[in-house]
Amino acid sequence: MKKKLLSVVLSTTMLTAILAGCGSSQTTGTSETSTQAATTDAATETTSAAAEASSDTSASAASGSSATALAYKGEINMMHFSTSEESEGNGGSDGFRTMIQQWTDAHPDITLNQNVLANDEYKTQIATMASADDLPDVFLLQGMNTKAWAKQGLILDMTDIIKNSPYYSEYNQAYFTPFTDGDKLYALPALTGGTCTVVIYDKAAWKKAGFDSFPTSWDDVKKANDYFTKNGYDYSIAFGNGGQWQANSDFLSTLGDRYTGPDWFQSIINKGGAKFTDDKFVSALSFMQNIFKSGIFNKDFNDVTNEDAREYFISGDAPAFIGGNWDESYITSTLKSSNQDLYNNIGFAVLPQPSDATYDENSQNIGLGYGIAINAKVASDPDKLAACVDLAYKLTGPDFSNYVATNYALGGLTKIDNVDLSKFSQVEQDFYNWSYTDTTPCEIYDSYVDPAVWSVCNTELQSLLNGEGDAKTVAADIQKAYEENYLNK
Amino acid sequence: MLKAIKPKMSVVAAFLAVPVIWYIFSVFVPLAAALFYSFFEWKGGPDKTFTGIANYVKLIHDGTFWQAFGHNIFIVVVCIVGQVGIAFILVLMVNSRLTRLKGMHRTFGFFPSTISAVYIGLIWTMIFDYKRGIINYILIQTGHKDLTQVWLNNPALVLPFVSIPLVWQFIGYYMVILLSAIAAVDNEIFEVAELDGANAFQRAIYIVLPLIKNMLMVCITLCVAGNMKVFDHIYTMTEGGPGTASMVMALYGYKVSFEQSNMGYGSTISVAIFVVSLIVIQGSRKLVEFSMRNKGVE
Amino acid sequence: MSAQTIKMTKVKSAKTPLQKFGTGVAAVLINAVLMIFSISCIFPLVWMFYSSLKLKRQFNADIIGFPKSPTFENYIRVLTNKDYHLTSSMVNSVRVTVISLFFIVLFGFVIGYILARVPFKLNRFLYVLFLMGLLIPVHSLLVPIYVVFNAAGMSNQWYTLIIPYVAFGLPIAVFLVEGFIKAIPVELEEAAAIDGSSFTHTMFNIILPVSRPILTTVAIIQSFSCWNEFSFALVLCSRNVKLQTVPLAMTNFKGQFASDYPKIMAGMLVTMVPIVLLYFIFSKKIIEGMVAGAVKG
Repeated sequence: MKKKLLSVVLSTTMLTAILAGCGSSQTTGTSETSTQAATTDAATETTSAAAEASSDTSASAASGSSATALAYKGEINMMHFSTSEESEGNGGSDGFRTMIQQWTDAHPDITLNQNVLANDEYKTQIATMASADDLPDVFLLQGMNTKAWAKQGLILDMTDIIKNSPYYSEYNQAYFTPFTDGDKLYALPALTGGTCTVVIYDKAAWKKAGFDSFPTSWDDVKKANDYFTKNGYDYSIAFGNGGQWQANSDFLSTLGDRYTGPDWFQSIINKGGAKFTDDKFVSALSFMQNIFKSGIFNKDFNDVTNEDAREYFISGDAPAFIGGNWDESYITSTLKSSNQDLYNNIGFAVLPQPSDATYDENSQNIGLGYGIAINAKVASDPDKLAACVDLAYKLTGPDFSNYVATNYALGGLTKIDNVDLSKFSQVEQDFYNWSYTDTTPCEIYDSYVDPAVWSVCNTELQSLLNGEGDAKTVAADIQKAYEENYLNK
Repeated sequence: MLKAIKPKMSVVAAFLAVPVIWYIFSVFVPLAAALFYSFFEWKGGPDKTFTGIANYVKLIHDGTFWQAFGHNIFIVVVCIVGQVGIAFILVLMVNSRLTRLKGMHRTFGFFPSTISAVYIGLIWTMIFDYKRGIINYILIQTGHKDLTQVWLNNPALVLPFVSIPLVWQFIGYYMVILLSAIAAVDNEIFEVAELDGANAFQRAIYIVLPLIKNMLMVCITLCVAGNMKVFDHIYTMTEGGPGTASMVMALYGYKVSFEQSNMGYGSTISVAIFVVSLIVIQGSRKLVEFSMRNKGVE
Repeated sequence: MSAQTIKMTKVKSAKTPLQKFGTGVAAVLINAVLMIFSISCIFPLVWMFYSSLKLKRQFNADIIGFPKSPTFENYIRVLTNKDYHLTSSMVNSVRVTVISLFFIVLFGFVIGYILARVPFKLNRFLYVLFLMGLLIPVHSLLVPIYVVFNAAGMSNQWYTLIIPYVAFGLPIAVFLVEGFIKAIPVELEEAAAIDGSSFTHTMFNIILPVSRPILTTVAIIQSFSCWNEFSFALVLCSRNVKLQTVPLAMTNFKGQFASDYPKIMAGMLVTMVPIVLLYFIFSKKIIEGMVAGAVKG
């Protein structure tokens, strides 16, 4: 037994050593990306240094430290979900990592301990830490947790920090609403602002079906579907709701706005008397049930994820796809390198308008779902707070917005005038304009209220779309969760 | 029990002290903490409001929890038959003198148990996949295109379908346990029985089964316990969907705790899972003991 | 007995052709069933391997077929990305697994033996206590576990994960050992006792060698559950990157909205290599041990 154990240990260590050898001998391969990032750093370095100088005055009100350098020398614990895998092709994630790198390079005295987990695990872990009142110093806060965590004193009231930010005048104020409780602000919206509901379609295919641009009514989509199913397609629009959140974020949130208008949802947020059982919202749900029954979507929409569904579009099996900006960036970057024809034919559209919906037919839900929040406990150490604030400014400031605008044609919290889009392709320019200028923004449902409400909603919605149950019951269940977890709190 | 060896109680206590304390600290202290939290309304964070047994009252009326419980029972039954039952038959086959490549079967059979549940889920998701999956591929190739469907999106079929990977993965696990049990049985007994003209079925029921009764009980206990808290496979394949058609208790507890940030009620569910599992497992042990006695095993 | 056997063999060996045919059919059937089962068990490994040689695009277009132009790019990307810190996570996993296994086997044997053989007041109580350990729903208990470990100052330490791994591995070990030892005839220990062997000596020098098959089984089963464990690793040890185990490091392969299956498979295979290789190298020994260690009744 002993001998066996020993041999097990020995051979395992040997294997590890071999693997380690492989790893280190080939490291040169991927450090490319980081050096690339470093060169772009140099260009922006001067502006950011100047910006930091002014930014510190706000924080120094608390710290009394010099305005030019951070007095804090020690550790900052930070948690986020921009894994290196995610940053490949995802502008927001890449920008976020690049900003962190720039900041740590500029502040060698501060040790930034980053805990990077993939998004699913991140959500679990941050919920665990919040429960134990043990949040990291700086982390990404999901909009729908703002009110509950603010009420319990877990997160720092950042109202003054935000108002005193050197970039305050450049911030897009609309992005702050998910992180607002009363008149207080609790986070600096981070990553890129992107739509959650965009129809991506193959212009050439739809032209053949008789539509020069994507139909603006669902009846026309059904007509097109008749054509498509007779001409080599099985359906018209690819969609993936396997994770249960997609039908809410990438469809209902915009569709609901068409039926209820923006005031209704504001009233839901502000506890102003609106109900999920209101007829308008129930109509949205029953419309959704019917449209998913109508056969214009892929049969397995409830089983596959958005990642699978967008492959249906990429491979040409589907003439259109509905998803979020993350799907858009994946689809365009993939097609750019693999299928130029389809790439050049990509068009973007808002959801078609249901015939019985009465509100803005040009709306799409856009926003920043996560914001940089600071643990309330950090306030007890003014120097450390100043450092955390400086980091938060950096990650959401003009450096970030410039980076994602010039590299990916995406927008962040800070508005940028005169973005030079000329170096981007027509498709990329189209998407930028579609996202930020040509459409009416509306709210992303699950950036607000309470996670319990959306958990109930998403689960029941999946059954509803399968044709089970009815919209009224689902609405009543959502309303019940809303009252229990939010309204009566 | 043994009479010849009567160790001093102090010796026994010395041997048991460290592991038992270690065990209680990591297993029962968190459970006790969960029991404590289950009496609070706790949305995650420092604030907790004492609400007495309100969470338990809610649990009794919570249709989703009891639906999930039913699903767990279904999976337990399928897995006792599928995992332990098939493992038992395969072990007999492996031990048969007619079998070639015994070593290979034993080695390969256990292999799925070495893969983490998340990846088992991933692999089977691809097998069940509507568009690219192997099942529909075979159906189409054999001219049964009309039979293809979105397997994991059919509320009536999803539960049996998510049970298949569970059964498949753990057959080898129970094979290893039963093999080591049978290794302890004198081979001559098998040979004699075989020569006696006892057929395979008789041998299995009247000779092998009684000899490995203890181990079989252990297997059934492990199987029931494992499947009352099954999580990863289903989380990866369906997340409990469509709707709640494949929801199981542990997944529901996890969703309530993390997706809904309802730690108080989530703790109540954990305690409930523990209690109902305890009842089910004791019940199944009684059942097995009873049925073994009927076979004249003693 | 053996004389009798020989006699019976003589009688029964005169099989009719029909019986021979029956045996032949049975042999084919048994071998076929086992072969199908074994192939189904090993196929995922083969499939993962050849899929990992595809690029994402090829894989999504055809998930079953063989790669048309095999490439090791996924492996290069996995092995060269420093963010995956595969080396340190591998070392961590090996350390945690080996130490945990040692304690699981040692404690499992001692407790299993005592529960099987020594009558004392708390015997059945302890048995049920360990039975209960099998029923703890870890996933919905993560928060209490985190709180308890944090309060005790035991999270994010090099030894942190060993504590729950041993504790949660013990019940299975105890059950297997207890069940096994109950089947061992008591005469063995009685003889030892007459020879003047002490309790401790009997346990470790007489019963331990006899229990080798079951202890090997315990070790195999537990080594994989330790190696693959994820939830505790996430909740208790994710804060310190230097302590991350392989499954936790693996989450770096996943992005929020991007999943590259062939690359994930490459990562999986790389991280499975040590344990799978060990398994295949030692499986013959392990099975020999099981058979040889058998106690003759």
